[in-house]
Amino acid sequence: MTALVATFRKELLSFFVSPVSWVVGILFYWWRGVELRALVDYFARYRIDQELLPPQTYGLGSTFLMVVLVPGLLTMRSFAEERRTGSLETLLTAPIRDGEVIVGKWAAATVFYSLLWLPSVLVLHALEYGPFLGADLAFGPVFAAYLGMFLLSGMLLAFGCFASSLTDNVLLAALLTIMFDYGLLSLPRQLAAQLGELADAYYVRELLDKLDVMRNFSEWFARGLIDTSQVAFYVGGIVFFLCLTGISLAARRIA
Amino acid sequence: MIRVRDLTKRYGSHLAVDRLTFEIGPGEIVGFLGPNGAGKTTTIRVLTGFHPATGGTAHVAGHDVATDSLEVRRRLGYLPQEVPIYPDLRVAEYLRYRAALKGVPPKARAQAVARAMDKAGIADVARKLVGHVSHGYRQRVGLADALVANPPVLVLDEPTSGLDPNQRRRIKQVVRDLAPEHTVLFSSHILGEVQEVTNRVLVIHRGVLRADGAPAELVGAGARRRLRVAVRGEPQALASALAQAGVAGEVATCDGLAVVDVALPPGHEPVPALAAALAARALPVHELRIELPTLEEWFHGITEASDAAGEAGIAPAGGAGGGA
Repeated sequence: MTALVATFRKELLSFFVSPVSWVVGILFYWWRGVELRALVDYFARYRIDQELLPPQTYGLGSTFLMVVLVPGLLTMRSFAEERRTGSLETLLTAPIRDGEVIVGKWAAATVFYSLLWLPSVLVLHALEYGPFLGADLAFGPVFAAYLGMFLLSGMLLAFGCFASSLTDNVLLAALLTIMFDYGLLSLPRQLAAQLGELADAYYVRELLDKLDVMRNFSEWFARGLIDTSQVAFYVGGIVFFLCLTGISLAARRIA
Repeated sequence: MIRVRDLTKRYGSHLAVDRLTFEIGPGEIVGFLGPNGAGKTTTIRVLTGFHPATGGTAHVAGHDVATDSLEVRRRLGYLPQEVPIYPDLRVAEYLRYRAALKGVPPKARAQAVARAMDKAGIADVARKLVGHVSHGYRQRVGLADALVANPPVLVLDEPTSGLDPNQRRRIKQVVRDLAPEHTVLFSSHILGEVQEVTNRVLVIHRGVLRADGAPAELVGAGARRRLRVAVRGEPQALASALAQAGVAGEVATCDGLAVVDVALPPGHEPVPALAAALAARALPVHELRIELPTLEEWFHGITEASDAAGEAGIAPAGGAGGGA
């Protein structure tokens, strides 16, 4: 446990000193600020119910950036860089289990990713005050939406760790993760459209429904609904990809 | 402290280590010699639990590296050949992280880090970013990392590679000071360095153990010793003294001296008999000495011999000496 905590702390610190993290953070908040200002103006101009504002923020382009691009950028170095520089040997010959290394790195990436999201909640909270909207926003759905985002990002970051363990090329690791993230968001709907009638079969429909992250998010988490089967799906995905990372590391030892 | 039995490691069809067997006792400093590609690093990686063996067993401090790898790693400090360190951490930060990783209790960490930095001579760069220190300092940071949890066994893979003479001297002194508290396996292909630091060497070549023993014994037992004698007198007188001592050699004259320079067979010690024979003939001795090959010549001899044997299809001989 001490080794896991040590790995977690070191990895979290490395995110804070990495220029990539700062560039991602600045880019995200600049873009989100521009989008949010336009959205608030739009709500004010057309006198739309301000209660509907938080769910609209989840569909902004900056959210897409955070879901599709950022997990790959945060996890690309986790194992690929260690393998490239040779520090993986030093790490794995220390008295630490492979699982502790993997969980420590994944947890640090997830916490840092969550910290990147955190100010966006504060921005929503700030909008409640007079100079801005002066509205009483419902934070129940906001909480559920952020939980959904946390679970989804946890799964995407777990895949990022796995992709990073497959290569010593950090850019390739990032690209693999970005492709996976984009595929996860877009493929289930495209697949359902391509399958036609076959997509109506019970098991196929259930599978496509579970994989349709966008739909799950808009129909459940963004409405403030937490479905345990959705939670189990994402937690299962996290465990699955972390286990694959473990297998990948073990295979590299044997090779 | 380290026990290796019939250790074999294959990478696909390539046999990197072939039935390696040796033992290292507590407090010993043992040099692990071999040319590049001999199987040193592969053996070390098996010992440190980074790679599994294909066959055979290896025990470190009583724990099997295959089945009890975590316990082995708790008792082993490892300095890899290329020290890869996180460049964005400060030296002391890095060592504190490594101490935590190695299970040093939080209250003892500061002291453990200070002690390791002191031993490795890096206290002056404690606050520098690892990425900003020189190669020599980085190597010493790696050594401090190996020492930080004060493990009973240390495996140092070419710890002086790429260092300047002063830095090499410092590292060698640190390694010498590690005995008898620590057992050290010191890998190198710089023979003089091993001779300076260790009291026993294991020579590995093409994955096979070629020799095991104290450097002086191994070199002394080699077949390349030469006897050189120079006396002021008649060559015939020297020839007769040599014959009496059981040495066959052709006597030459040089600057008024009778001189002989012959190779000695292994185990033959003619000096006492020859000295007596020369004294009996009242020959003034100008020079009487046995020249030993350098460790380098000896090493070249045994590795070249095995290569020649391999090319001729002859099975390589087992380890010479017997220091285990």
